[in-house]
Amino acid sequence: MTVVIGVGNELRGDDAAGLVVARLLERKVPDGMKVVCCEGEPVSLLAAWEGHERAVVVDATRSGAEPGTIRRIAAHEGPLPPALGTSSTHLLGLADAVELARALGRLPATTVVYGIEGATFAAGSGLSDPVAAAAERVAAAVLRELNGAE
Amino acid sequence: MSETKTIRTDYLARVEGEGGMLVRMRGGKVSEVKLRIYEPPRFFEAFLRGRQFTEAPDITARICGICPVAYQMAACLAMESLAGVEVDGQLRALRRLLYCGEWIESHTLHVYMLHAPDFLGVSSAVELAQTSPEIVEKALRMKKIGNEIMRVVGGREVHPINVRVGGWYKTPTKAQLEALVPDLEWALEASEETVRLVATLDFPELEIDRELVALDAGGEYPIDRGARLISNRGLDIPISEFYDHVEEIHVEHSNALHARLRERGSYLVGPCARYALHRELLSPRALAAADEVGLEPLVLNPFRSIVVRAVELVHACEEALRLIREYEEPPAPSVDVVPRAGFGHGASEAPRGVLYHRYRLDDAGSILDAKIVPPTSQNQASIEEDLFAFVTAHASLPDEELRLRCEQAIRNYDPCISCATHFLTLDVEDE
Repeated sequence: MTVVIGVGNELRGDDAAGLVVARLLERKVPDGMKVVCCEGEPVSLLAAWEGHERAVVVDATRSGAEPGTIRRIAAHEGPLPPALGTSSTHLLGLADAVELARALGRLPATTVVYGIEGATFAAGSGLSDPVAAAAERVAAAVLRELNGAE
Repeated sequence: MSETKTIRTDYLARVEGEGGMLVRMRGGKVSEVKLRIYEPPRFFEAFLRGRQFTEAPDITARICGICPVAYQMAACLAMESLAGVEVDGQLRALRRLLYCGEWIESHTLHVYMLHAPDFLGVSSAVELAQTSPEIVEKALRMKKIGNEIMRVVGGREVHPINVRVGGWYKTPTKAQLEALVPDLEWALEASEETVRLVATLDFPELEIDRELVALDAGGEYPIDRGARLISNRGLDIPISEFYDHVEEIHVEHSNALHARLRERGSYLVGPCARYALHRELLSPRALAAADEVGLEPLVLNPFRSIVVRAVELVHACEEALRLIREYEEPPAPSVDVVPRAGFGHGASEAPRGVLYHRYRLDDAGSILDAKIVPPTSQNQASIEEDLFAFVTAHASLPDEELRLRCEQAIRNYDPCISCATHFLTLDVEDE
């Protein structure tokens, strides 16, 4: 069982990147896999991947890298790098949820995090151009991963 | 040369949103305290102009992922009061039930994941999960039950989609609600254990006597609505007169407006205020839990708010069970609301305290103007006063401990910074 989780806030610019990727994937994922959107609040994240062997989580990052930079991290192998700033708009964020789940033995055996570096997180809707383009590339990469042998 | 120091936290953890704190000391005395909130303010108020009155509940629910129901209820109530409609009976009971779900989610999150780590000497919920996994497992299960109520009644766990002006799009069946009962009965007991657990924590000394403000819902503990705003110092006004008695002041260091009672000053909303004003209206087991741990009727130590929040958790579980027991499926999911021109006022008790909405509509139901006063902006001045008093009394503490205690003092208020500006960071700084 695989779940794809898009994390973000619709009304804070590029913070919505994870949600946009989730929507791009909604009707394209292989049968038996599901796509959900989440605001990033840890308990909801834990609930979202509960009972799944594999989770693919997509979130915006704020590390100071070039906007649109994509990173793929195997979170089941170790903590997310703090410099990614995946705590998003709520301060207990994705990185905390991953560690909470790891401590409680509730982290899916395979947990992959895709980070998309945002340009702007100011109030307002819509992605910046480099982030919108990166969201398309991440959606394609996730789909390849889900359909692939790995 | 007088010694000066500044305690500063640029990024305050474990509050909802982002913000900062600065405490500046000179010669052992506090000279300045600032709670800074960064969000672009008032974005939503502008966003609402020109929208239809029916859209306000769903738009304002997006302000906060933790208390969307508070926003939806206040918006619905404002529109309904302007139209002269009262949503009552089982339609209203469902609103209260949905709101109990939000209280369970929000209070559990705050008590266990955000606030308890401060008292238990761990740095975060993650560390708590490593040292005391059973506590965190219990919290997760309790919060999930809140989520379940939101899902069954509200149609979704976050940002319910089933709420509308006039009632609901679809009402649940009795069987759907009854399915929640076993989990809620477990949660009721777990919340009583929570009261016992948090009552034994070690609380820093601080007592602050201030004006406490809550809604009055006429004979019941205020949650989903309240027609009047009352205080322990004689304030008693219809909510339509909110702005006659409350002024919002822009302070340079914060993006959120500070609210004050005109000619009276700062005031406090939230669990301690509700409890002080309405203790006798708590559900029987909530009151018994408060009595069992000897919780005083007037809690003056803001650090003890965690106990009050736990008592309210008992209340929310017991109240949810009562509402389900008495539920009868209503004949129609909503009542008609015909808009008219004028000002509509609505208020509800968000987990953090009174949330007030005011809308001005034209006769076609289009929103001309919106005002939203969230609880955290009302509590900002009180939070700064607490910091001032706490640092003054504990100026000799080592810097790092003082900084941690100051952060804890801010978390006493469960500040929802994303609501208040609509974000928070702590600065104790050495000049």
